[in-house]
Parts: sequence; C-alpha cells; structure tokens
Amino acid sequence: MQNHLLTILVLLPVIGAATAIVYSFTPGAKESHHRWIALGFTTLAFLVSLLLIRGSGTAVNAFRFEESYPWIASIGARYHVGVDGISLWLVLLTTLLMPISVLSSWTAITKRQPTYYALMLLLESAMIGVFVSLDLLLFYLFFEASLVPMFFLIGIWGGERRIYASVKFFIYTAVGSLLMLVGIIALYFIHQQATGVGTFDYAVLMQTLRTNVTAISPRAEFWLFLAFAFAFCVKVPLWPLHTWLPDAHTEAPTAGSVILAGVLLKMGTYGLLRFNFGLFPNASRYFAPLMITLAVIGIIYGALVAMVQPDVKRLVAYSSVSHMGFVVLGLFSFTEQGMQGALYQMLNHGVSTGALFLFVGMIYERRHTRMISDFGGLARPMPWFSAFFVIASLSSIGLPFLNGFVGEFLIMLGSWTSFAVQHSWIVTMLAGTGVIWAAVYMLWMLQRVVFGTTTSEANAKLPDLNAREVGLVLPLLALMLFMGVYPSTFLNRSRASVEAARRIVVNPSGGPTINVATKLDQSDGR
Amino acid sequence: MFLFQAATPDINLTLIAPELIVGIAGVAVMMVDAFAPRGQHWLTGSLSIISLIAAAAASIWLWTAWPAQRSAFNGMIVLDELRLSFTLIFLIVALLTVLISSVWIESEKLPAGEFHSLLLFATCGMMLMASAGDLVIVFLGLEILSIATYVLAGFRRTDVRSNESSLKYFILGSFASAFLLYGIALIYGATATPSLPGTTNIATIAARLNSSLYPPLLLAGAAMLLVGFGFKIATAPFHVWTPDVYEGAPTPVTAFMAAGPKAAGFASFLRVFIFGFPIATTVVSTGGYAHKAWLGALAVMAVLTMCVGNITAIVQNNVKRMLAYSSIAHAGYALVGFVAAGAAATPEDRSAALSAVAFYLLTYAIMNMGAFAVVTLIARRGDQQTNVDDYNGIGFASPVLAFSLSIFLLSLLGMPLTAGFMGKLVVFSAALKQGYVWLVVIGVLNAAISAYYYLRLIIVMFFRERTGTWDVPRVPASLALALIITLVGVFYLGLFPGRVINAFQARPTISLQMR
Repeated sequence: MQNHLLTILVLLPVIGAATAIVYSFTPGAKESHHRWIALGFTTLAFLVSLLLIRGSGTAVNAFRFEESYPWIASIGARYHVGVDGISLWLVLLTTLLMPISVLSSWTAITKRQPTYYALMLLLESAMIGVFVSLDLLLFYLFFEASLVPMFFLIGIWGGERRIYASVKFFIYTAVGSLLMLVGIIALYFIHQQATGVGTFDYAVLMQTLRTNVTAISPRAEFWLFLAFAFAFCVKVPLWPLHTWLPDAHTEAPTAGSVILAGVLLKMGTYGLLRFNFGLFPNASRYFAPLMITLAVIGIIYGALVAMVQPDVKRLVAYSSVSHMGFVVLGLFSFTEQGMQGALYQMLNHGVSTGALFLFVGMIYERRHTRMISDFGGLARPMPWFSAFFVIASLSSIGLPFLNGFVGEFLIMLGSWTSFAVQHSWIVTMLAGTGVIWAAVYMLWMLQRVVFGTTTSEANAKLPDLNAREVGLVLPLLALMLFMGVYPSTFLNRSRASVEAARRIVVNPSGGPTINVATKLDQSDGR
Repeated sequence: MFLFQAATPDINLTLIAPELIVGIAGVAVMMVDAFAPRGQHWLTGSLSIISLIAAAAASIWLWTAWPAQRSAFNGMIVLDELRLSFTLIFLIVALLTVLISSVWIESEKLPAGEFHSLLLFATCGMMLMASAGDLVIVFLGLEILSIATYVLAGFRRTDVRSNESSLKYFILGSFASAFLLYGIALIYGATATPSLPGTTNIATIAARLNSSLYPPLLLAGAAMLLVGFGFKIATAPFHVWTPDVYEGAPTPVTAFMAAGPKAAGFASFLRVFIFGFPIATTVVSTGGYAHKAWLGALAVMAVLTMCVGNITAIVQNNVKRMLAYSSIAHAGYALVGFVAAGAAATPEDRSAALSAVAFYLLTYAIMNMGAFAVVTLIARRGDQQTNVDDYNGIGFASPVLAFSLSIFLLSLLGMPLTAGFMGKLVVFSAALKQGYVWLVVIGVLNAAISAYYYLRLIIVMFFRERTGTWDVPRVPASLALALIITLVGVFYLGLFPGRVINAFQARPTISLQMR
C-alpha cells in the first residue's frame, strides 16, 4: 500500500467515476445520489493524500513514493511517478479543493448529475497525474487528458457564452501542448543520440543533460525551452497568452472556476519549475529577463483590467492573471526566497481565489446575477457571507497575517535581490504596485457589493450562508490564516526541492559556476 | 529437360493461404446466397465473419511460424511484417464492416449475399496489394479491390446520390488505374538492359535503377505511379473525388472505403517506393535522383494533404463529408511517416517508420470504423440524417452512442489515452528522427486545427439543446459488438500499444537465423 500510494491516488477518482457511471445505469438510481459518490471518493482521495506528508520534512531533495515500471517498452516510455517537496503541496491542494468543489455543486448542479460528477472525478485523476508524473510522455498524457473533462464541464454546465469559452479554452491549450509534444519527442532523440538509449524519463534525461554538456546544443535548448514554455505559459496564463482565461473562468460553473483557478493554472507554473528549469537551465537563464518582463506586465495589466470589470467573476478572473504574474516573477528570480515564495503563492492563489470563486458562486445561486451594480449592502442581510468574503478578499490582496502576504513578500524579496535581470529593483517596484492595485480593485469591489446601504429589494431578503456553505469555506479560511501566520509548515518541506531546482538553473553542470550564478549565490545570504 | 525445369512454376500455396481463404469464401458466399432463402443475411454474414477470422488466424500463423521461404511465385508474392500487419488491418476493417452493415442491410432490404461476397472480394484484392512483390500483382489486387468497391458504392440502386458516387468513383478510379498501368509499362521499358528484358519485380527494379537504359523514362514512370497511388489514398491534389464519393456511398461502405482501400493503397505505395526506389548510396545517380524526387514530392503532398483536409473539413455541414475530409487529413499524417521511412538510412529506422505507418493506419481504421458505426445508426434509413444539425442535443438522449462517438472523435483528434494519440506519436517520432522538424510542426498545428471540427460535433451533441423530438435508435447486437470492439481497440492501442508496435516491426535478421 505504502509503495503504491500515488497509483492509488491517481486511480481512486477513476474508480469513483466508474462507480458513478455504473450506478447511473442501475434501476432505481437517483440523480442526486451521485454527488454522495463523488463526495465520498474525493474525500477519500484527500485522506489518502494526507499520508504523503509523512516523512516529507527531510532536508534532502528526493522523490518519494516512487514507482517505476516499463509502460511502452518499444519506445522507452515508463510509468514513473513520485512526489518531492514541490509536487507534494500541489497534489494536496488538488485533493483538498476537490471535495470542496463537489460540495459547492451540491445544489447548483441540477441537470445531468451522473455525467457531471463522473467528469469531475476524471478531472481529479488527470490533475493528480500531472503533478506526480516523472516521465515526460506520462506527464503529457495527463496534461492533455485534463483538458477534456474541463471542456465538457464548461460546455455543458457553463454560462451563456459557454460554447465560445470552452472551444477557446480547448484550442488555446491544445496548440500550446502539441508544440510541447514535439519538444518531448525531440528530447527523446537528443538523449538517444547522446547515450544510445531513448527515454522519456525525467530523472534520466536531467542526469544526462547535466553530466553530458555536449548532449544538447544551445540552439536546440533554445527552441526546446520555447516549445515547453509556450505550453506552460498558455496555461499559467502569462500575458499576452491570457485571453482564454477570463472567458473560461467566467463561463465555467462555480466548481469549474475553482478548479481552473485553483489547480489547472498551477500546472503551467509547475511545468516551468519542474521541466523548463530542470531540463533547460541555460535557456531558462537566457529567457529570464523576457519572462520577468512579461510577468510584470501581466501583474499590472491584470490588476488594471480587473479594476474596471462590472462582473465580479470576471474581476476575480483578471486578478488571477495578476497573481500568476507574481508566481512567474518569483520563479524566474532564481533566488531561494523568490522561488519558495512562488510555490507558496501557487498554493495561496489556489486557496484564496478558489474561495473567492466559491463566494461569487454563492451569490450567483441566490440572485442569478454577477454584476457588481446589482449588489450593495449585502452585509446587512448576509453577515456571515460578508465577513468571510472580506477575509478571502483581504487574503487575495496580501494583508499581513493572511497567506497572500507571505507569498508576495517572499517573491518581492527574492526578485529585489535577483541577478537574473538587470536593475531588479525596478522590476520589484513595478510588481509592488500590483499589490496596491489589488487593494484598489478588491476593496472597491467590496465597497460596492458588501458595504453601503441595501439598494435593491431583492438583496434585502437574501438568506445567509447555510451549514453546507459555511462548512465548505471554513477549511479554506482556516488555511488562509494558518498559512499566513505559520508558513514554515509548508516552506520547510518544500525547501530542499526548491533549492535543488534553483541550483540546477544557476549551476547546470555542477562544475564551476558561471558569472550570473556566482552573484546569485552571494546574494541570497547563505 | 533444362527448359522444363526453368518453366516450373514456383508455387507455394501456404504463403497465400489468407488470400485463398478469403477468395474462396467470397465464391462460397455467392453460391450459398443463390440457394438460400431470400432476405437472409445472417447466413452469409456469419460465413463471411468465419472466413475473415480464419484468414486472420492463417496470417497470424504465418507470422509466428515464419516459413523459411519469404517469397513465392518467382518473387510475385512476398512475406514480411509489412504485408502481415496490413493484412490484419484489412481483415479487421472487413470484419467491422460486416458487423456495421447488418443493420443497414436489414433496414434497406438489400441483397445481403451480394454485399458480403463483394466485400470479401474487395478484401482479397487489398490483401494481394499488400503481399505483392511485383507491380503486376499490385495492379491485379488493385483492380479486384476497385471493381468490387465501385459496385459497393452504388449498392443502393434507387438512390441518386449512391449512383452518382459509384459512377464518379468508377470514372475517376479507372483514370487513376490507367495512370498506374502506364507507369508500370514505362518502368518496365526503362529497366531493360542490353542483355535482359525489362522487369516489374520490385526488388529487381531497385537493383537495376542505376543501370537503367532510359533514366527520364524511369522518372516519368515513377511519377505516373505516384499519381496513381496518390489518387487511391486520396492525397491532395488528387483528393477531389473523395468527398462526393464518400458522401454519396452508403455509410457502411464509406466506412470501409475510408479505412480499407486507403490502407491498401498505402501498403502498395510503401512497398513500391520504399523498396523499389530505395535510398541510393550515390546521390548523383539515377537511383539517387529518383529517390530524392519522390521524397520531395511526397513531403509536399503530405503538407498539402494535411492542410487541405483539415481546413476544408472545418466548413462542412454534412458529417459524412466532414469525415471524408478528415480521412484526407489522416492520409496526410500517415504520409509524414512514409516520408520518414523513405528518408531512413538504416534498416532499423526504416522498419520503425514502416511499422509506424502501419500502426497509424490500424488506429485510424479502428477509430474511423467506430465513428462510422455510430453515424450509420444515427443516419437511419436511406442515410437521411447526416447533417451536423441532425446531431443537435442528442448527447443525453442516447448517451452511450454520443459518448462513444465523442471518444472516437477525440481519438481522431489525437487526444492522449486514445489510439489516435499513439498513432500520431509514432508517426511524428519517426519523422523527427529523420530530422523533419518542419514537417512535424506543420503536422501538430494541423492536429490543432482539426480540433475545431471534431469538437464541433461534440459541441452540437452535448452543449446544444434539441428543439425537435428525437427517437433513440435501437442498437442491434451486431453493431453493439462492433462498438465494443472499436472502443476496446481505441483504449488498448492508446494505453498499451507496445505489443502491436513490436509485432509490426521487422525482426532483425540475426534473430531470424536463431529461430
């Protein structure tokens, strides 16, 4: 059991989906029973995933719970899974958000429930698979497979422009990832040429590329970095590849938005951290200024556009563009603080933005509108809702004592001391304005939605949160507070892995450090 | 005495056992039909299925027993992995066609015996095309196949569209056959040496390339062959007949034509060009020129075929027409592997690329037959409901059909976990290995374009609401069986393709000697 934990985790939701489908064909099956099946399996998956934390506190970077079997022997593909300090938290984020999403759909999804919950469970499998795969082909398989359930979720249960949004989502991501597939195959042949054996195994590839400097030409590394980065940047999404996001987030059902923002976007940043840094360190350094520039543009652009949105859900969607910009900035700072902060911010964003989407879903379910102008003074009829909503918003802004602050502070600390880009303090200051803008758009939105006088008759009689709704947001609120005051629980466990990833980038071959890297090593005060 | 010995025909019936079984079964089915009560279709149907399974068993036996003799009839029939893998594809396609067509034969009250015997003859022709070691046998197989298919396309005699389809296919097909025959004649003339007459044997052609008496004649002959085969596998710019013929032909026949004869065309095309005009040791020679010329032409054809197929498919409103253009596009992807096989310098690379093409066509055959099985059922009597609008909102009215169709469409699109992805992966890998990065990039971008029209059908089925009423079609047992076979095939080849790919690859000579 211990050795097959990850396989169990990947398969558990699939079994759940199969159960739901089989059950729907049994006579006397009730549509509403499927949500219990989904809740049961997602909760079980969460509990199982908690076992992954055991023994994660080591200072040594290593993949744990590793499993590796030949999968397609003729092309050297393997079933190789494992978690380290980076993927551990992303797997936990996924398994935590899933039962919450299922609970949030409890009354919101009334039609075609068997299909809905089966797709949710399949999506969970694909997402967990993405974070635990250590074979590039396997990773690609899960990466693409996560597209299909989400496509159906947006398309069938989405809002008015769901068809447009779902197709846009699908095609944007598919184009990106298909080019990555070319990159993956090319990497296979590069390895074959260097060693005589073709493989998709991440660890083996990384080892070869690090020890055999001539294995990959700088030109090939340049193009391969681009092929991988394009797929991931669409997913993040990095400005200017972000245009699918507002549509997809806005049109998706609440649970879909929570998962999109909470988990799917992290696949992009996770991919950059794991594969781009690990496999193409030199190109990563080369492209750092460009990536940082795009990230900063994204931070400011996302915030400014969020400010003028009349639709609460769209506002939250654009705030994602801004927040994910911070993550990319932190990653490409190549400092320990920056990269740890980036990982932390990935989790923060999943928790806070996930919660914000849940709150938007709750008022949408009550009023069937998301327009800011339709609301006002919700604090009086819905005090609990308002209190929680304000806490989640403040966490998203980055108020001290809440989780967002820790992540953004670390990222800016890291980017200030970064030598990945010239005059990094300018970059940091520009990014810092993003925090200010966040306060502006969030507080302004809160003022118009929650505070003030109750302007509309319809709003005055809105019922407050029921037990289920309180139950599903409380874990997230508790996490926001906990992650804000005691981040070491998370950071200590990810430190060794993040540091290892950083060392590869600043010192790819393990030999004498090059110029940039030397400066980096001095600068991070260790 | 000496003369008599030389004239002894090199007969080896074991080597053509699968072809013999299917051919004899075709005659037997015709005879049975003549004496059986009218309106039967189970009798001839099951007879065909039994014979197809027997032929498959025979070819698998050839595969494992691996007779020492690798060719017969003076090199006219050859035995290798290329032949056997394609033979299996044809047999699977024919088997699925029999299963899919039963519902259609029943509802249209068509003569089942004739249909089944024509199908068996066509299959026999396809198998001959794959096993041919000589251009004459290629032509023979092609004609057996074509004539049967012409009739099949026009099988619904009372329907004008079916008639048009048949006639168009016949006229244009004959034209292409003429090209092919002319090409064969020119090659025969060009390969004559002062002491020896010309040859149509593919291996001998390769050996004589550089000693060709008339190099321009040889190149012209090769070009003619290229056109003839290009027509048969529907590559741009020789694809124009495809949509009309596919749309008009009865849906089960369309399914058969898109999967079977296309693969057969590829089998001969590969055999003739890869083994007949192989990579030359000296680039500046007749052989070198011939190889370079067809490789370049084929790369261009691959790009054209993929782009034309995918872009035109986007604007189609008829599902059969859309699948016709999609089949053109898929021929383009397979051509990418073909180019890789042509460019491969080592026998290992070549065998890997050849097996990639065969594997690709196998995956395409399975997912395409599956998609057409659903389309047949939804089309109803007389192929009435084949417009995209007819699929409006049927997703939750008959979820099993709609989700099966979606899986086939996603597989055609090349989503991971399905056979289509593995097919694309092996073909594109083969091409990347030979350094055709640009060709592969165009290929994957085309796959992205194709998302648009494959998804469109899914969108129509699931994301739209149905306005009119929709009576759920009854799924007969034979069609359910076809759907189960294709679904299992799609996921098996998508998840565990290793065994099949290995079997399709040529065994190294060393291991052969050890056996």
